[in-house]
Amino acid sequence: MAKIYLNQIAHGRSGDKGDTSNVCVFAKDPKDYELIKEQVTPEKVKEYFGNMVKGEVTRYEVPSLNGFNFVMKHALGGGATHSLRLDSLGKSMGSAFLRMKIDYPDDAE
Amino acid sequence: MDKVIIGGGQGFWGDSNDAAIHMVHTAPLDYMACDYLAELTLSIMARQKIKNPAAGFARDFLGLYKACGEEAFRKNIGILTNAGGMNIEGCVDGIRQIAEEKGLHGLKIGYVTGDDLTADIPRLLAEGVDFKNIDDVGDFNEIKDKIFNANVYFGHEPTLACLEQGANVVITGRSTDSALFLAPCMHKMGWAPDDWNNLARGIMAGHLLECGGQGAGGNYDYGWRDVPRMDELGFPIAEITPDSFHITKAPDCGGIICEQSCKEQFLYEVHDPANYITPDVVVDISNATLTQDGENRVRVGNVKGKQRPDTLKLSIGYHAGFKVAGMLSFAWPDAYEKAQYAAEIIMKKMKRKGLQYEDIRIDYIGLNALHLDVAEIDPKEVKDLNEVVLRIAIRTKTKEECAKIVPEFAPLQLNGPPGASFFGGRAHIQEVIGLWPTLIPRDALHLKSNILEIK
Repeated sequence: MAKIYLNQIAHGRSGDKGDTSNVCVFAKDPKDYELIKEQVTPEKVKEYFGNMVKGEVTRYEVPSLNGFNFVMKHALGGGATHSLRLDSLGKSMGSAFLRMKIDYPDDAE
Repeated sequence: MDKVIIGGGQGFWGDSNDAAIHMVHTAPLDYMACDYLAELTLSIMARQKIKNPAAGFARDFLGLYKACGEEAFRKNIGILTNAGGMNIEGCVDGIRQIAEEKGLHGLKIGYVTGDDLTADIPRLLAEGVDFKNIDDVGDFNEIKDKIFNANVYFGHEPTLACLEQGANVVITGRSTDSALFLAPCMHKMGWAPDDWNNLARGIMAGHLLECGGQGAGGNYDYGWRDVPRMDELGFPIAEITPDSFHITKAPDCGGIICEQSCKEQFLYEVHDPANYITPDVVVDISNATLTQDGENRVRVGNVKGKQRPDTLKLSIGYHAGFKVAGMLSFAWPDAYEKAQYAAEIIMKKMKRKGLQYEDIRIDYIGLNALHLDVAEIDPKEVKDLNEVVLRIAIRTKTKEECAKIVPEFAPLQLNGPPGASFFGGRAHIQEVIGLWPTLIPRDALHLKSNILEIK
């Protein structure tokens, strides 16, 4: 079992609505969809972001696209112009998300 | 008719005009829709209009129209936009002037008024509308005297009405981005307003196009290095027939249309994929498919629709205090340690000045200002950082509080740890615009479709 960054097997994009950030995540190879589903749970995402995401995290599955949509509330430091973050719209939340480390089986290739 | 071809000409207020001009020139378009409004845009426009009654709309659209409006008119390409913002008539007048200068006789400019409900709030309150925040925060009584604007996200109806009266250009305020694309699809394809599955296809065409270049290889995580000719990035185009729906782009431009590029835009700013709520239809893309169907051509399948909601979203912008961010840069050796020390000095001074803030952030650009808590910081590498920028941002209730920190950055060039460099001049204090999203009954809104013909 190797530790890898999620971005090695997945791609995605982040968007914003008020203080809510959504990150869609797609398996680059369909065979990794189940592995992402098993490891990248809403609970794990919430724990990973810690104080950055103050609200609940919901995961929606879209198996027909080998993807997921993660919706994270109170995740942008207040949202809109309330936010004092340099990246107040969370354009880099996608790459921050995909920086999460996951376990990847050695024989999965 | 059995086919509609529509392009996405703008992704936001401030976008490049190049791709829109190129697609009018080279693609067999029926329509081009240009989205200018993000969540905060109307509040910013409302503030501009107070200072200058002639402002308050996306003036950029006039430049775009000047560049390609005549060609669009001659080729019978309809143009739809929400560039009207908070000053629809101002925008219409700008287009009228351009059309007259260019001699576009017979051009019909359709425009939609009535989405600004700012003046109606007291009446709606009296009628029992509670303005409850849909994000479950705050008390409306605390913001109701600080409102800049209150605009309803509306659907296809008034835009379609303009098209039915022969409009060549339609200018709106807070139409949803996607309804600007749906209305021409309905007009050309004859879809009924309760044909939910077709309406959902039109909305998703809009969704894939409304961010311009982001739907054609811009902001593309999967393989940004592989996007051809990004300097000539094309914007996406949708082709819809009764039984097919494709995304493509204009000939001879850069960009990429592939499954992965479409996927990244498909769920962008969607919440529940089985219930993507718009004023026109509730879209279900939880079983949708995206399939490569030729070079730079993706087929979109299995988009479903359900009955539209009874309520509409009203977005209220309100005054929420002030904020300012100051910066100082530091170089090796010990750049990060010096920047941290400078922050400590500034904060000690602020404590003595009795600074009262609502929120504060101290970040180090080059280290953790974007990924924040999940940035990986290796102490050894940090010790040898070539350079780092200290950024301190505060939000306060009054402008006077913000003003306390503004003059404290530049002096640290001479009074702080060595090598501090101040740049960009003194920081500007910004007014904070809060957003209050709420739901109102459909019948609270009375939109009007108007036509102005160029003689």
